[in-house]
Parts: sequence; structure tokens; C-alpha cells
Amino acid sequence: MTEPGVASRAVAVPGLAPPARLGGARLRRALRQTPVAVIGTVTVGLVVLTALLAPVLAPYDPVAQIAKPLLSPGRDFLAGTDEFGRDELSRLIAGARVSLYVGGLAVLIALALGGTSGVLAGFCGGWVDDLTMRAMDILLSLPALVLAIAITSVLGSSLTNVMLAIGIVYAPTFARVARAPTLAVVRVPYIEAARALGASAPRVVLRHVVPNVAAPVLVQTTVSLSTAILTEAALSFLGLGTQPPTASWGLMLSAARQYMLIDPWIALFPGGAIALTVLGFNLLGDGLRDLLDPRLRVE
Amino acid sequence: MRYLARRAAWTVGALLGVSVVIFLLVRLLPGNIIDILAGTEGQLSRPQRAQLLRDFGLDRPLPVQYALWVSGMLRGNFGWSFRSSQPVADLLLSRLPITMELALLSVLAVAVIGIPLGVVASASRSLRVKTVVQIVGLLGLSVPNFWIAVVLIITASYLFGWLPALIYVSPWANPWVNLQQMFLPVSSLALGLAAVVIRMTRSSMLEVLGQDFVRVARAKGLSARTVLLRHALRNALIPIVTVLGLQTGYLLGGVVITEQIFGLPGLGWMLLNGVYQRDYPVVQGTVMLFAVCFVLVNLIVDVLYTSLDPRIRYD
Repeated sequence: MTEPGVASRAVAVPGLAPPARLGGARLRRALRQTPVAVIGTVTVGLVVLTALLAPVLAPYDPVAQIAKPLLSPGRDFLAGTDEFGRDELSRLIAGARVSLYVGGLAVLIALALGGTSGVLAGFCGGWVDDLTMRAMDILLSLPALVLAIAITSVLGSSLTNVMLAIGIVYAPTFARVARAPTLAVVRVPYIEAARALGASAPRVVLRHVVPNVAAPVLVQTTVSLSTAILTEAALSFLGLGTQPPTASWGLMLSAARQYMLIDPWIALFPGGAIALTVLGFNLLGDGLRDLLDPRLRVE
Repeated sequence: MRYLARRAAWTVGALLGVSVVIFLLVRLLPGNIIDILAGTEGQLSRPQRAQLLRDFGLDRPLPVQYALWVSGMLRGNFGWSFRSSQPVADLLLSRLPITMELALLSVLAVAVIGIPLGVVASASRSLRVKTVVQIVGLLGLSVPNFWIAVVLIITASYLFGWLPALIYVSPWANPWVNLQQMFLPVSSLALGLAAVVIRMTRSSMLEVLGQDFVRVARAKGLSARTVLLRHALRNALIPIVTVLGLQTGYLLGGVVITEQIFGLPGLGWMLLNGVYQRDYPVVQGTVMLFAVCFVLVNLIVDVLYTSLDPRIRYD
């Protein structure tokens, strides 16, 4: 919602948050009141930079076996080496790329599937709405991880299938988040006016509904990135996600279990990397929610 | 009552939907189930294949197969494991208590840690306390429980030289050893959720404490303790119970990994072994049972509202 055009098109709707317009002074004041947004932005920024610059930042090749296995952190290998003598730090840096790539694309799939069906359900109403939301409820009747495990076990473990599984699992949340503001906005007189003026349904949806849905969906996207990264790590940890020798944090943590009592470091670092990244997205999502939707602000 | 009946009817509907999803998922398998089964047992001749297809009922049309599967489940027949040939229903029944013990102890631990700390944190409205509690709550959502488990194992073995027994002992056989075994798994599941509940409890308490009836209770001279526990907490509990209910999904997912790490032979362990061994009747059965548990917990949460808050009457 930082693009001013989008914000000004969004009209206050009863039961909806007033549109958030963030000018310079207001933004600074808002940021002071939500320090978590700042911490989150910085953390996410660092992780994204690490992922983008991975080949430059990594001191060694993340899959090359170059030293004695299970070295403790030291001068040559800042985070030590893993059970195959690969540089742990380089693998951690490469893992940032895998996590963000899988998590990002998975959330895009969830957004495309769920966001679209939520808006359509809310806009069309009637049996389309009933059918879509019941289907989403069915997907929500299974614990997310269990559903993801079931889907990957059938599709097979590959990066693409993991993204697809996570995307399907989190689509219903997007459908719910997108449907509620759509329902509220289609009852507003100006939509009727737009229709009376002869605007086609796609035009009404794109120009009037989508801007109103954008803010909550943006918050949901950020929060979903955190859960998607966590789910990828969990699936890889269970051997159902990213396959070796690719450096994935979940996979690294899983391999470390055998050696963690000899060399605790290789178990501590990847878990810490997951926690930090996920925390960053959660902080950012929480901060965004505070900024964009003052109604939900606690206290 | 009418609401609850509708709610229960939808629960049944959702479970039917889940069964269709599971059924279709397994039929989507690349390669026939028979080929997967035969893959480990050498080549099959054509008549042998046809015989197997008939034995498993796989030569029938899909709707018939589905109807047979569901009616079998309703009569307690979940099929037979590809690997051990044991009835899946028996396996499920023997695994369920372990998972239930783990989940119930975890929810108990979450409530015992999270709610009191949340009430304490609601004593201050300062931005600093708010931010700290917010970050702690988000940490609880962010730190993967399988990492907490790993850290707990490392800590226990380095600091205390202690590792729990690796072979599961049921609470009926030896409650003390069982509790020792459950301590680390329950902690790894509960710590993260407890942090979430602390944050929830605080914000819910602050909302209730700002309402008129709390001022009235204070004005008529009730002790701070009575106001806090009898008036404020009771009302604040409603959203907390909702969150606890919603987090059961997270918990049931976490159970899968936790059981795997700590070698507890529960439902999650059974699901994963089924997946690793491509034992699809076992996978179908466990996923179905997970859905039943999950949906039932949500139903129970709905019913609990009425006893927590007599104002909510479903009709």
C-alpha cells in the first residue's frame, strides 16, 4: 500500500479498516510506535541480501568437501565444518537462498490459488461462494504439516513438489483473508454505481475490489512467508523436502542429529538461521498489520 | 442446540470431504499401487497382477472403490498394511494413546506456563512491556519445535548427562519412567505455544480490564485478586481458548516431528513410517485419524464456549 494511487482508490468501507496512507511524518511516527516493524524489516533485509549475494558472500563452495569433518568454529571455517567436511558457513548462506526461493514461490502459489478464489467467492456470492469456501474448509480440516506430508508423499520429494504442497496447504487462509473485505466492499453503493455506468465485472474486481483487499492480503503474505519457510524446513528435516546435497537448513539440521552430541554447533547454526529468518518475517507481518490496520492493533 | 446440531453435521461433511481428498490423492500416485507393492518383491506376471488388482479391489470403478473404503472405515475396517499385513485399525488404536498423551500433556503445559505469565504481563501497559511480550510471542511462532527438541537434547546431555530411555514405556507399565520420557518432547512442543499464549492472554486481559464491569467490581470494594481472577480472567479466557483450539493443528503437526525425534511410536511416527515405506493404507488411515482428531477438537472448543461464557447460546 505504499503506492499512493492504490491507497487513494481504496475507499473507507464500514467494517473495514480506513485506508492506510503513509506519508513521511505519519510513517515516522507510526514506525516509532511499532518498533517490531523496524526490527523485522532489518532482519528480513539482511536475510534477503544474504540470499541474493550468496555466491559472493560464501567463502567456499557449499557442496565441496574441503576439510576434516565436524571441525568446531575457528579462523578458517567461521562456523566449522559438517559431517562431510563441507564449510558450514557457506552452506548456511546457500540455505538462505533455498529457503527464500521455496518459501517465496510457495506463497505465490497460495496467493494465486487462495486470493483469486477468495475474491471470486466474495464477489459472485451464492453457490460459487458456498462451494469454494466449503472446499477451503475441507483443506483446513487437516493439520497443515500432515496435509503437506500427505501431498509430498504422493507427488514425490522435489523442490517443485514441496512448493506446490505448501502452496495448496496455505491457499485456504488466503481465500478467507481475501473473501471478507470483498464481501464488505461489493455491498457499497459506489460499486453499484460503477456497474450502472456499465463497468464490466472484471473491471469492477480489478479497479475497486482488489485495492480494498490488498492491505490484509499483504499482511497475510508476509506472515505466510514465515510459515512457508518453517514448513519447508520441517519437510526437509523429515527427508521429504529438499534433497541432498543441496544446502537446506532443515536438511542440515536433520543430518546434524546424528552428530549433535559430538559437535553441537552443526545442530545449533541451521536451527538458529531458520528461527531468525522466520522471526524476521513474523515481526514484519505484525508491524505491517499494526500500520495498515489500526483496528487490529492491540491496546 | 440447533447450532450445535448444524455444527456437528458440518463436521461430518468436512470429514467426508477429507476422505475424498485422501482417496483421490492416493489414486493420483504416479504408477499403480500394485507396481509400488510389487517393486520390492520382484516382477509379476500378468495373471499375478490381475489377481492382486482383484484382491485389493482395484479393478472396480473409482466411485465403487471409494464407497467400499468409506463403508469399511465406518465399520472399523481401515484395510491392511502393505508391509506387515496387520489391520490398520489395530495399528491406529495402539498408536493413538501415545499421541493423545503427548498432545494433552503439551496443552496442559502450555496453559500452565502461558496463562499465568500472560496475566502477570498484563499488569503493565507500557510500550516496552508490550514490545517484549510481542517479540516473545513471535519467537514462539518462529523457533521450529524440532530445533527446540534438538537444543533440549544437547542441553540435557551436556549439562545433566541425562538422556531419556529410548524404548517407549507406557504410563500404565511405569508412570515415572513414562513421565521422564515425555518431559523433553512435551517441553519442545509446549515452549513455543506457551509464548504465543502469553501474548494472547495479555492482550485479552488488557481488553477486559478496560471495561466498565471491572471498574464496578473494583468500586464495590472487591479485592484486586478477586477482580483479576474471578471477573477479568474468566472473561479473558474466551479468546484464549479459541487460540488454544486453533493451535491444536500446529500441535498435531508438531507431534509428527516430535515423535520422530524422540522415537515415540505414536500416530505421527506411524504416518512417517507409512510414507517412507510407501505403505498407503497406513498413510490413508493415519491422515484420516489426524483429521478426525483435529475436527473433533475444534468442535469441543465450540462447545466449551458455552460453558465459559453463558452469554453465548447457540440458537
